[in-house]
Amino acid sequence: MRILSALFRHPSGRIGVIIIGLYLLAALLAALGLTPHNALKMFAIDRMKPPSSTYWMGTDLLGRDTFSRLMLGIGQSLNIAFAAVACAALAGTTIGLLSAWWGAPWDGLMMRIMDVLLAFPAILLALLIIAIVGPGTFTSVTAIAIVYTPIFARVVRGPALSLKQRDFVDAARTFGSSQRYVLTRHLLLNLVAPLAVQVTLALAWALLTEAGLSFLGLGTQPPTPSLGLMLAESKNLMQQAPWLMLFPALTIMLGILGFNLTGDALRDILDPRTQGRTA
Amino acid sequence: MNWTHSRKLVTGLFVATAISTAAFALPVEAATLRMAWAQDATGLDPHKQTAFSSLRLLELIYEPLVRLDTQLNVVPAIAASWEFAPDAKTLTFKLDPKAKFSNGAQVTPADVKASFERLLDEATAAAARSNFLSIESIDTPDAETVVFHLSTADVPILASMATINAAVLPASEITADTIATKAVGSGPFKLDSWEPNAKEVLSANADWAGGKLAIDGIEVTVLPDETAILASLRAGQTDFALINDPLVATLVPNEPNLQLNRISGLAYNVLQLNPSRTPMDNLKVRQAMSCAIDRQEIVDSALAGEGKVTGPLTAPAFAEDPDTLFCYKQDVAKAKQLMEEAGMSGGFTAKVIAANGEPPVAASEAQVLQAQLAEIGVKLDIQMMELSVYVDTWLKGDFDMAVAQNGGRPDPYPMYNRYFTKDGNLLQVSNFVDDTLDSLMRQGQAETDPAKRVEIFHQFEQHLTEQSPWLWLSTSYTYTAQLKTVTGFEPSPTGTLFGLTKVSIQ
Amino acid sequence: MTYLAKRLLTFPLILLGVSVLVFLSIRLIPGDAITAMLGTEAGMLTPDQRASLAAYFGIDKPIWSQYLSWLGGLFQGDLGISKIYAKPVMTVILERFPLTLELALLSMVIALTIGVPLGVLAATRNGRPSDLGVRLLAMIGQSTPSFVLGVLIIFVLSVYFGFVPAMGTFTPLFQDPLANLGQLIFPAITLGFAFAASVTRISRSAMLDVLSEDYVRTARAKGVSTMSVVWHHALPNALIPVVTLSGVEFGYLLGGAVIVEQIFALPGLGRLVLDAIGQRDYALVQGTVLFIAFNFLVVNLLVDLAYAVLDPRIRLGGR
Repeated sequence: MRILSALFRHPSGRIGVIIIGLYLLAALLAALGLTPHNALKMFAIDRMKPPSSTYWMGTDLLGRDTFSRLMLGIGQSLNIAFAAVACAALAGTTIGLLSAWWGAPWDGLMMRIMDVLLAFPAILLALLIIAIVGPGTFTSVTAIAIVYTPIFARVVRGPALSLKQRDFVDAARTFGSSQRYVLTRHLLLNLVAPLAVQVTLALAWALLTEAGLSFLGLGTQPPTPSLGLMLAESKNLMQQAPWLMLFPALTIMLGILGFNLTGDALRDILDPRTQGRTA
Repeated sequence: MNWTHSRKLVTGLFVATAISTAAFALPVEAATLRMAWAQDATGLDPHKQTAFSSLRLLELIYEPLVRLDTQLNVVPAIAASWEFAPDAKTLTFKLDPKAKFSNGAQVTPADVKASFERLLDEATAAAARSNFLSIESIDTPDAETVVFHLSTADVPILASMATINAAVLPASEITADTIATKAVGSGPFKLDSWEPNAKEVLSANADWAGGKLAIDGIEVTVLPDETAILASLRAGQTDFALINDPLVATLVPNEPNLQLNRISGLAYNVLQLNPSRTPMDNLKVRQAMSCAIDRQEIVDSALAGEGKVTGPLTAPAFAEDPDTLFCYKQDVAKAKQLMEEAGMSGGFTAKVIAANGEPPVAASEAQVLQAQLAEIGVKLDIQMMELSVYVDTWLKGDFDMAVAQNGGRPDPYPMYNRYFTKDGNLLQVSNFVDDTLDSLMRQGQAETDPAKRVEIFHQFEQHLTEQSPWLWLSTSYTYTAQLKTVTGFEPSPTGTLFGLTKVSIQ
Repeated sequence: MTYLAKRLLTFPLILLGVSVLVFLSIRLIPGDAITAMLGTEAGMLTPDQRASLAAYFGIDKPIWSQYLSWLGGLFQGDLGISKIYAKPVMTVILERFPLTLELALLSMVIALTIGVPLGVLAATRNGRPSDLGVRLLAMIGQSTPSFVLGVLIIFVLSVYFGFVPAMGTFTPLFQDPLANLGQLIFPAITLGFAFAASVTRISRSAMLDVLSEDYVRTARAKGVSTMSVVWHHALPNALIPVVTLSGVEFGYLLGGAVIVEQIFALPGLGRLVLDAIGQRDYALVQGTVLFIAFNFLVVNLLVDLAYAVLDPRIRLGGR
């Protein structure tokens, strides 16, 4: 709560939090079925209608309401982003912590494995994974999570290593605290700040990647709307129905902006050294 | 060129105008046709290729014995004339003495014999092999005659020969085993270079028996995104292009400098049911699904109106009025009743597979079908797949239902014998064996009287739609787009680009 | 330089890891080279035909033996033969690489020429409207997916200017510099936009850091003009993080920009991998991905070294 109010006092943080809040609200309403129209219903006589008071953002080729689909799409994209980042953060943190804690030779081995994953351009790695498992929501989550795991592992390992050397951990160890207690209590608590920043930025990146994969037709499967898929579907209709392209594009950009702003604000708040240093 | 306008309009976009000036200053060889397509050819062996683009490319380089004109009549190619014996068991060709391969050698009966022997050799894995199994032996009595001896009366074999999958190759290249790497054909163009997934350079074959061409050559560029193809046409940087996506095609007529060629194709969009799985094994369930869908609605929304409702027979000579076919008018009440009679009034869930972008409307089609079938409680679970994965799954018959676009042939026999005869080699895909269909197919193969053949295949079509192993939906159009400076192109329902031989550029 | 020695030692190990991962993963992909080539007609093959084709594609032996023979070739500089192109994989890669390299360089040039001055400007006007404007622009830049920008650029150019960059084939720089630039400038802008935004942000924050340091304050107190302080004293130090960021970003761009290459129909490394995966050209996927990973690792190594050279305060051994 304290963080949230601090975020709210931070100028870009406020904008970011408001955007994320609106997106969460839209996703929640869509999940409860509270969209202006049924997002999957095809209104046969209202195909490709421009924005109007009935269809706030127009309808698509099959006569479905763009606004309702966007609400559902936000939910889908957020679901994937949250699930993927949660998995990556969990796996990455575990690997990073264990690496730092166990030391050589495990440290070297695990970090080299992370290096191997990092040596692939992210989108290529995701493409390979999707080619193996076949596209779908679950695959998108897995692909994005695997791509982001090494980054979390690195983010965690660095501070964990330096914390490990510090006195209070040593002290706790000599006092006979169990290994698990030391790990969770001291290390993890001191890692919350860098992790929180990384998670927010990772969410922005995950949204972007999900949209990119769906754009290539390798992400979310129809009829479930996702932001990237809506954009890809509208690409060939750009001239007849510009609204079909405009609104999903803006929605993607605004969402990424929201997470980026929040991430930067978090960094400012949690790391006093960089106060006011980031845009 | 409207770059002068743009320069006046927006001085700020200096870069754009400067570059467009540069681009237009480049010397463009006036008589080379700049062509673009989204999917490149996948290989050079005419006997093995099945990909749409490969066939279109190879049709410009090689020639079969006979080809189909734009009305789907069999017309001379390498063969100047031909004749069936009255029992339809011997087929004699006289070759065109002017026909020459691009290496200068005359096309001889020995080349024809070698080509068909290669086709029939199992080791070749030729795509059209199953259509030529009735060939028993091939005689070459003199320097211009080839005689095919057939084991049974086989009338459709002539139409089957009118495909580039039965191209005549030089016997010398067959012996040298260079078919896959070197294109030596007798067609209107020679392949100068090929850079897969990027471009092909073709030059006119001066020795072509068909006459002299008005263009010097063709440069084919691969532009994977069809909106980019349209942009390139619009900017006058491409002269001629293949368009697959109806949505892109509908934009072409809006452009003052472009012309769209649209022709009803032979390929058909279909929802394949898998009758080997429950509940699709139940005739009433299949019929209910056929009655529940509104085919015109699918054409109107998923295809943006760009298509025609069709039964199984797509060639104009055989096609029937779709309204005479079983349940081609949507009848949800009847569908529900059929579901109830089948004991399935509660509906069921089934997985339907579809390929990504092949055809481009596959995803929309699947979604409209999903919405329509939901009316009778049939819940479709759509799985979009990358093309090669889809093909793999499709070949194994590993699906409840499949949204597919299958190729058509001018004759129903080669079109459907692989799916619906008892020894059809794609039975594992159709999973449907039916005595009536099998016997009608065999009658159609042996019958020589054209009118009687049409009648036989009409019975075949009526029975097939009533059994509803698949739900035929529509034929789509085949599109090409061109600058208005390009004239003389004649599109063909087979999709061939052979019409480019008549093209000239102003 | 134990750090350097360690980096150089792990380098081949990571490459080996990459090779194993690629080799295994591409073979886990359903569908094989045969179905990719023949499409639905593959159903007409008899078991014998299938076996002979499998032998032709080299997919008839067990995976480990395929891997070992591939690795053996690798040590002799032989990445195998591409099935699609019927050419050595290395040749195909080297044909595609100039485009990718040039596109990456051009994007970086765009990003730096826009990003650094904007970042410096914003830092010197910290908190003023122009600073806020730059920050907002940078934020938007970072939030714009390249596929949105690329599609929009093509649309605007073709509809309003009757012009599109030459697509499909690549005109090398030395063959026709103007045509080459005309072809690459718009994809480079597409890629450079987000890149420039990152550069702007990082140069701004680095500049702010440096400007608050003692020696800069001293210089200012001595009456050196603000411009001179900023450009001569502060900038060189502020550039260190910019170099790091640009290096890493450049390393990624060398792997090919899959989506932008697809939109602008450019035959670069990204599309090569996409096509190779789609057509199950195992040798080509393996070779290309390995090549991309190799470049990425080399660039990162160089960035780390540059970091050490530029900033003597950093002791790399401690990282």
